Amino acid sequence: MQLTLNVNGRMRTLDASPAATLLDVLRDELGLIGTKEGCVEGECGACTVLVDGRPVDSCIFAAHAVGSREVTTIEGVGAVDATPLQQAMVEAGAVQCGFCTPGFVMTLTALLDENPSPDEATIRRSIAGNICRCTGYSQIVDAVLQLSGGDR
Amino acid sequence: MTALGAAAPRRDADPKVRGTATYGVDVSLPGMIHGAILRSPVARGRIRRIDTSKAEAMPGVWAVITASDAPSHRTGLKIRDERVFAADLIAYEGEPIAAVAAQSREFARRAVAAIEVDIEEEQPVVDMDLALTDDAPLVHPEWESYEPVGDDFPRGGNVCAEMSSDPGGVEEAFAAADHVIEDEYRSQRQYQAYLEPKGVVAVYAGGRYTVHIAHQYPFRVRDRLAEALGISSSDVRVVGHHIGGGFGAKLDVSLEPYAALLARATGRPVKIVNERSEDLITCQCREDAVFRVRSAVSSDGRILGREIDVLINAGAAGTDGPYLASIAFILAGAPYRVGPTRVRCRSVYTNTAPTGAYRGVSGTHVIFALERHTDHIARTLDIDRREFRLKNLITDGDALLNGQELPDAGIFAKAFDAVEERAPWAERAREPYTGVGIAATVWLTNSQPGSVILKLNEDGGLGVITGATENGSGAVAMGVTQIAAEELRISPDQVVVSMPDTDTSPYDAGSQGSRTTHVVGRAVGKAATELRQKIYEIAATMLEAAVEDLELVDGGVTVKGSPGTKLTLAEIAAQATARGESLAATGTHATPQPKFDPTCASGLLFPTFPTPTYHVHLAEVRVDPVTGNVEVLRYVVAQEVGTVVNPLGVEGQVQGGVAQGLGYALWENLTIGEDGRYRQRNLESYRLPLATDVPRVETIILEHPDEGGPFGAKGVAEPPIVPVAAAIANAVSDAVGAPIDAIPITPQAVLEALGRSGR
Repeated sequence: MQLTLNVNGRMRTLDASPAATLLDVLRDELGLIGTKEGCVEGECGACTVLVDGRPVDSCIFAAHAVGSREVTTIEGVGAVDATPLQQAMVEAGAVQCGFCTPGFVMTLTALLDENPSPDEATIRRSIAGNICRCTGYSQIVDAVLQLSGGDR
Repeated sequence: MTALGAAAPRRDADPKVRGTATYGVDVSLPGMIHGAILRSPVARGRIRRIDTSKAEAMPGVWAVITASDAPSHRTGLKIRDERVFAADLIAYEGEPIAAVAAQSREFARRAVAAIEVDIEEEQPVVDMDLALTDDAPLVHPEWESYEPVGDDFPRGGNVCAEMSSDPGGVEEAFAAADHVIEDEYRSQRQYQAYLEPKGVVAVYAGGRYTVHIAHQYPFRVRDRLAEALGISSSDVRVVGHHIGGGFGAKLDVSLEPYAALLARATGRPVKIVNERSEDLITCQCREDAVFRVRSAVSSDGRILGREIDVLINAGAAGTDGPYLASIAFILAGAPYRVGPTRVRCRSVYTNTAPTGAYRGVSGTHVIFALERHTDHIARTLDIDRREFRLKNLITDGDALLNGQELPDAGIFAKAFDAVEERAPWAERAREPYTGVGIAATVWLTNSQPGSVILKLNEDGGLGVITGATENGSGAVAMGVTQIAAEELRISPDQVVVSMPDTDTSPYDAGSQGSRTTHVVGRAVGKAATELRQKIYEIAATMLEAAVEDLELVDGGVTVKGSPGTKLTLAEIAAQATARGESLAATGTHATPQPKFDPTCASGLLFPTFPTPTYHVHLAEVRVDPVTGNVEVLRYVVAQEVGTVVNPLGVEGQVQGGVAQGLGYALWENLTIGEDGRYRQRNLESYRLPLATDVPRVETIILEHPDEGGPFGAKGVAEPPIVPVAAAIANAVSDAVGAPIDAIPITPQAVLEALGRSGR
């Protein structure tokens, strides 16, 4: 089944089965492997991408349901220069194994677009759908607080 | 400029934050096809018939293999009790029966579903106490024929391994006791739950296997895969990629033999990646345990003697179990003086999925039990729980039960003081339903060998070639990197550490036991000494100076006392290359085994705790009397680390380790049904800690440089998980006014305890 997607500002036309998930298409058809497959059940958030600016679990999002909406993946964020969020995450020690990191970047990018100065509780609520097994989350929260000027 | 102790960004942070770092599951090779494994749906049974004909006839299927296509000999880490495929008796749910290679992952999974297997189910052996009764069926009826790796050790029937120590004097201690205090503690299995599922790509070409993985210990995969296939280890090349977490679960061979056999059968590169539920079931999670302890205690607050009997559940294969059976014995001698202590720990075979290494191996449940028991003793004697601990604390020069002296155990007292300063124990105004708990432990820095090749590149940058693996902790991306930079007086961003490749990297014993920064760091130190000498020799001819008059300064070499005569490392390296002289050096290190008493125990396969570190944790909690939920109000860690190499890295290990410990104490629960199968089968039912669950840990870092270096650094990553369940369980018991002797502490357990105490 032919599918046309707007991914990171470019139109892509490809063939995808009706059952294909957005994650399948991004990773297997478009080679955008920065988006990670962690659980394929919408629990871990490693596959988070933005659809019209809102974070979704691409592993349980049907590719054909995207329609004309814009898809943004980690490859579309800070492709040339790291964004302030990415830079803050590097400096705060918010990255360990890094497998969950693209998902966190996407979720937090959406948060900061909506609310440039979230407090700690807001930040923690926003990432409650992203699992990080390494960091215990505090340094991820720190990275955002550094940008937002919010209080711990 | 100094690289050591700097909060420098880790070298791999930029590619990871941009999504350009490639992990094991991202590897894709030309011509690659996909594999999947048929695993037993039952915990115990006999295979009567396997029919693969339908699967083989399906479109897109390249090969289907079963036990008849694979070596039948058994292999293992310490006891050779594992086979590639089940041939007759199935020993656990998830045991591989067949494997398929097909054009796509989807085709492979469909073909797996089309394999017909007729299994005659049998009643599985699930409960450890029942497994040890005389008439229990044997998990491995042929256990006697299994060969150990190295020396044999006490084992038999459903006892996979038995460690025991009876020092004498225990009966006398109980005879002299004012009180005998007895407890039983139970702890559950814990899934490592790394975000990247296990995966592999195997290639067979030219008589050799090349295996691409994201693994903590590539050299072990090389050796274990070779053993499984019955070939020489030189016929296996293991190439490492970025690791999406491991926490001990990626230390042994797993999917590699299946991918290798399928690659050989098809002539194509074969990729296998676990589905999440498959990964959870077969990951070799932390073992469940039953810990029984009796203490002889005097009214004046001393422990006169003790008896400990521990069962740890191996599941259906020994894996690390024979080694883990030693941990309770080692930890029982610290941090409190205990008198003569009889210890027995048995690793028990059951028809459940094999367990294995998880960060803080066995220590999490041993310290949970010992520190809960310590609270029980203090409460029985009506002595303040912290006071009791301080009164019995070991100090410099005291020995563990194995006779190993701890020359710096006085750090415990400093750690208790540091916690006290941050969160005073006595002044705490206690609100209803709140409680406080404290727990302490010693931990080790694994001693096993590591090695590096350092080479000065022509631009003055430093290459570090090593088999050491960056599992996410920062031990390579910060630890080894910053130590190497410090040794050569360059910036960390001028250091490039190779990814592991067993063909070209010198040996490394893997990211386990917090060893990488310390052991590989020491190997770097040795290589750097040789490399600096070579640099000076080249520079001496260029500067017409004597070698002993030269010194390394930031970015180059000068003659002592005349800083104007500076050569950059780039100039020296270019000169060496032009002359055909080497600016490479090797270094290797393994920490010597500390002195101990080899007669202290039998079956002591993990005999000492080298390069020990010291830890005190304090938790403050509130329980909700209506829902039974536990809220962690405050968590304080005092951790001794030798020397801080990177404060962001140490902080990250403490925050992350405590979060995993909180999961273990409160939410994460792998339970096993009577059918021997896990009840939790995905990340929805297996409840991991979320950002809204865990507090920000208050970290106090104590520095006490280790004599051997590197620059005094010791292991950091494992211990933050070890005392967490103990501190939380002590705090919750305090809050509810009744003992909590099993983890995880579910809301139901809290409500039941409140019922018992009448609060």
